[in-house]
Amino acid sequence: MTQQTNSHLLAESISALADNQASELELQRILKASESDPEVNATWFRYQVTSAAMRGDLPILELSDFAARVSAAIDQEETYIAEPESATNAKKPVGWWQNLGRFAVAASVAGGVVLFAQNFNGISETAPVVASTSEAQVQPAAAVQAPSIPAGYHAQPLMARAVGLQSGYEPRQSESRQVVFIPRQNGSQVTSQVSGEEVRDYLNQLIEDHADNAALNSGQGMLPFARVVLTEED
Amino acid sequence: MYVPFFVRSLSGLLLLLAAQFVFAQAETSPQSLQSLFSKMSRASQTINYQGSFTYEIQSSAVLQGFRISHWVVDGVEHERLRYLNGAEREIIRHGQTLDCFSPGDQLLRGNLNHIGNKLIGLDDFYQFQIRYTERVADRAATVLQVIPRDAYRHGYILSVDQETGLILKSLMIDNAGRLLERYQFLELDLNPDVKTMESAPPAQRQHVASTQIGDCSPTQSGQPQNWSLTWVPPGFVFAGQQKVRESTDMLMYTDGLTTFSVFIEPVSVDPPEGAGQRGSTVVYLAKLMNDDKMHRLTVVGEIPAAAAEQIADGVKYQGGNTR
Repeated sequence: MTQQTNSHLLAESISALADNQASELELQRILKASESDPEVNATWFRYQVTSAAMRGDLPILELSDFAARVSAAIDQEETYIAEPESATNAKKPVGWWQNLGRFAVAASVAGGVVLFAQNFNGISETAPVVASTSEAQVQPAAAVQAPSIPAGYHAQPLMARAVGLQSGYEPRQSESRQVVFIPRQNGSQVTSQVSGEEVRDYLNQLIEDHADNAALNSGQGMLPFARVVLTEED
Repeated sequence: MYVPFFVRSLSGLLLLLAAQFVFAQAETSPQSLQSLFSKMSRASQTINYQGSFTYEIQSSAVLQGFRISHWVVDGVEHERLRYLNGAEREIIRHGQTLDCFSPGDQLLRGNLNHIGNKLIGLDDFYQFQIRYTERVADRAATVLQVIPRDAYRHGYILSVDQETGLILKSLMIDNAGRLLERYQFLELDLNPDVKTMESAPPAQRQHVASTQIGDCSPTQSGQPQNWSLTWVPPGFVFAGQQKVRESTDMLMYTDGLTTFSVFIEPVSVDPPEGAGQRGSTVVYLAKLMNDDKMHRLTVVGEIPAAAAEQIADGVKYQGGNTR
């Protein structure tokens, strides 16, 4: 019975992944299951065939290949996630950001791969948080003098992505602009009993409240309200 | 009060633009920048305009459309931002008088004293460079790159309308050069019919935004009540405080271009802790203990995640009057 429930949940997760709506946890679960369960690969394949048929001629992705690439990326980061109590790592405590970094590597691969056959959102959103943090930690107050023109900004990366890969496909609007929230982890103990959904709702409310401040004080008029997610309910 | 929109800052930036033209590559003196600033923002506040623009964030495929209307009647500004996709919704702001400036606007104008009597200017925290000219919304625009001088804020690439100083296109860019958000005007009408804008039928859902929080045109930055922030990124000043949703204290900060808000709310169970992001907005949640009273602390802003975390770490309860 438990097994049946599990495979049902897994099928839902794979479906979510095919829609690019899977959470990090779901992604991890699918990847793990795909190592031992050929049915997972078959299910993934069926979803891909279905959605490719709906869209036309997009290349189909093999989950086994997908898993190998993600796993390889995680393996490369393995040194950062050694046991905290290990003596050899004593001088380099493992913080939750490092764990995040590991996710981010996986996510960036996953994002790239999924992007190929699917729409773009969700998974890769963790990368910016992690990256900007680690960078800032490396050089905290150092003046950033030269930089920050994006290499490809003349090329309008957003437009290239949106037009090139999205044509005709409208993702679920309400979800695609959700906050991506990564809970802080204290060892194995999860500190909060609050659900992810509640956290997201709460954060969306605060972002709306914050828009008042931003609209008054960032010299950009009402533009900050464009950042507020529309919710169907009030 | 609040100031029109793209206008103030834009104008400010335009001023900067002009200043850079005048002084070429030489160091521009803050005074000259600031006088230009105030002149420009004065001129551009009074413009009536209506236009539509798109907004999108990195990480989402959704392209959202908006129409913005701005008009001035008897020295009072009116603004309407209407969502053109999804649920019918708009945000309205009425009643900003032209002679009242928010702390952020005061910073842009160089009128806000900070740290003793030292005048701070935007160019202490950002470097401004003119890149090239381009055409946006069928108008000639000058592209201005805004580069942060430290790791505590993001950069911008702004296309500023050469005639009015309105920002026609804005890209927000993080320290790694990634694009976080973009908005871009599609068209802009500088002679809209005010009567038509005034009498536009309201959307099904309407949100009336604050037009003023705190004093009008403050010349000194204040301090929050009950709470203190032991660290904020350099250049950020306290811009006001209010209660939101009954029991939450909201503290507002700005450096003139970028804002963050700190929310503190009493809770009875352990709050979630962690970091989140949507587009250009970062959130950081933490638990704050004041003796045995537990609070949920959230920092929200268009700032790098590391800055949000550092801000949160420095929030302390500061006894005194409890209101």
